[in-house]
Amino acid sequence: MSAIASLFRNDYDADGFRTCSVTGLDVHRSVENYVKLFGLTAVIALAVGGSFAFSVAMTRWEFVGLLDPSGYYTHLSIHAWNLLIFWMVFMEIAVLYVGGPMVLGRKLPLRRLATVGWVTMVAGAVGVNASIWLSEAPNEAPLLTAYVPLPVSPWFYGTAIVFLLGATIAALPFFATIWSETRDSRRTLPLVAFGAFVTGIVAVEAILGGIAAFAYAFAWRVDLIAAVDPGIYRQLYWIVGHGTQQINLLAMITVWYFLTHVVGGAVVISEKISRTAFILYLFFINLGAAHHLLVDPGLSAGWRIWNTSYAFYGAAFASMIHAFAIPAGIEAGRRRRGQGGGLFGWLTSAPWRNPVFAATIFSIILFGFLGGITGVVMGQIQVNMTWHNTLATVGHFHATVALGTTLAFFGLVLFVIKTMFRRDFVSDTLASAIPYAYGAAMSVATLMLMYAGILYGVPRRTAEVVRNIPGSEFNLSAAIPIFMIFGIFALLAILSGVLFVGVSVGSLLFGDRLAAGDDGGMLPEGGLHADGGEPIHAVELRGTFALCLIFLGVFVAVYVLNWYLLTQLWAIGA
Amino acid sequence: MSNPLEDPDDDWWNSPIHRRESIWLGLAGAWSLGIFTWMAGFTQFGDQNPIGTTYDVDPDRYQERVGEYKEAAEETEDGLIPPDNDVYVGAMRFNWDGLPAVLEAGREYDVHLGAYDVQHGFSVRPEENLNKQINLQVFPGSEWVIPMTFDEPGTYHVVCNEFCGQGHRTMHGRFTVVEG
Repeated sequence: MSAIASLFRNDYDADGFRTCSVTGLDVHRSVENYVKLFGLTAVIALAVGGSFAFSVAMTRWEFVGLLDPSGYYTHLSIHAWNLLIFWMVFMEIAVLYVGGPMVLGRKLPLRRLATVGWVTMVAGAVGVNASIWLSEAPNEAPLLTAYVPLPVSPWFYGTAIVFLLGATIAALPFFATIWSETRDSRRTLPLVAFGAFVTGIVAVEAILGGIAAFAYAFAWRVDLIAAVDPGIYRQLYWIVGHGTQQINLLAMITVWYFLTHVVGGAVVISEKISRTAFILYLFFINLGAAHHLLVDPGLSAGWRIWNTSYAFYGAAFASMIHAFAIPAGIEAGRRRRGQGGGLFGWLTSAPWRNPVFAATIFSIILFGFLGGITGVVMGQIQVNMTWHNTLATVGHFHATVALGTTLAFFGLVLFVIKTMFRRDFVSDTLASAIPYAYGAAMSVATLMLMYAGILYGVPRRTAEVVRNIPGSEFNLSAAIPIFMIFGIFALLAILSGVLFVGVSVGSLLFGDRLAAGDDGGMLPEGGLHADGGEPIHAVELRGTFALCLIFLGVFVAVYVLNWYLLTQLWAIGA
Repeated sequence: MSNPLEDPDDDWWNSPIHRRESIWLGLAGAWSLGIFTWMAGFTQFGDQNPIGTTYDVDPDRYQERVGEYKEAAEETEDGLIPPDNDVYVGAMRFNWDGLPAVLEAGREYDVHLGAYDVQHGFSVRPEENLNKQINLQVFPGSEWVIPMTFDEPGTYHVVCNEFCGQGHRTMHGRFTVVEG
């Protein structure tokens, strides 16, 4: 217990504040402790969900074929809920507290609500896990979606609602902070706080949809209503199913602006453009829930096209804005300090041994190239016919969530260990290796999932199909080589995840305490604020421009390739 | 240029935008509008669109209708030959009712998709070329009528790709497409 208590101790002044030696922010004990609490809980969910990644991957790798169907769907459900929901949402509450009260230098208001929120979330998370694990026939494992009318335990729907309510309560102190900071003044929030605020609004929208969906299904399961409509459930469900992934996206981008600035010396090249991008998200990103309904019966083509495109690609355009603005911020910040000449010198001379920096940059690159491009391509209603419910879809969301968001959050957790827990890493070498090992292994595993889905049509959500379809002569054994590569790299990715948890927990328990004022190697060369203030038009941004042109080229190539494959198909549709 | 952890200057809205960022905005905006236009246009001129007509139908009624269709169809060793251009497929745990079926290449059929119990996934591919595949969602309570024209003879395999219960992986059906 004393070891745990010591994690929540730091040297504060009489008012409970201290000045962060890295960010220069005035940090109050209350904010810091709740960030630690939610962050640690998130890492526990990561460890649970990551453990089940092993049994899931080793079942899909039919060479091993670890589980039979009765166990597989249960394990898959626990893997999905702990990683896609609990690891992410606990981290996101922490991100809100950082982006709100911490950046603004305030105490955390309504602390009792934060505690109630945390307890409710934990109760919901434990309940969801228990309801999945203890589920008995005729109830089926819910997977992530719990599509009606497949019978799923009412306990599952009930505890999922509890979790969502808890997350809403936990977000209230953040909204209270923004309210009290802005109601009397015409203050413009810092960009990170603004990003967190938009994240918070999108989160509330998602949660309301989730409560509606699960309450609808719950009412049916406990016989309050006689029947459910699968189409209506799917529309409601995807408000939260996709919405939570939009929270991940917005939280991740907010973290990108934060961490590239703090550990990489990035600046904001245009407040107007970056904030406009967040506003575009606010209006349009939730339309993306329609991505999951593109090959559903009963929805008009116009409805699907309008929504899947986020209204003329408003949200995809916003993401492309960030794709330029964030690397350009690094380039501008570093060039102003004279760090790195030529086209890419600013990038090659960056602090690549700092795992916080490397994790953030890999998150940006891998999210964009693997996750973002595939998301837009598969989100076109015609192309979706070739992606829907194949492993390629699983590849896409592992690129966005397991590469993009998880890598960014790895960076954030390591940053919090240094700056809030004030611990040195148990091993700098091992800590530095995390983003490289995880990024590389998970990238290959993710690409193999995409290939298996697109080139071999391997379905998701099935215990076996590649080597054998029971009761049929047919199988998808041509995909076996892909799965040999997938299996090995999935194992390596899981081992890298173990390395992350090991270094994090090891550093918390055995890491040396950093002395007051020690930046723990987090600050960029020349400190956080470089001297000199050249105006933006005087700074070269050609490195970023070149990178973005490469990105656009890959985007066009992937787009054309997918459309080519589609047009090779037999004719379908009116 | 400013710092994302501090309030920006009062005139932040009027700060100039870097020329290269303006160019990028133009490129990204043009690409966004371009792919929207292509997607919307393809519904008019393209041959592959997940677009059909949906009717609300009671699952039991749909099962009866598939039964009537099976009565009317000609039974062969390779499966049912539909009596006309309508092909009925009824998804159920863990079977494709109405399959296997024998169809003619180059002839347009109206494929009726519906489920008797829970949601299923209608996933079709030719045996010889796995990277050609089409996936559609199937609901109980909806009858989705989608035109389809198989252009090449061969065996097309149908698997379920929406989790429908423990026996999900065994759900397999077949179209045999013969020269028209």
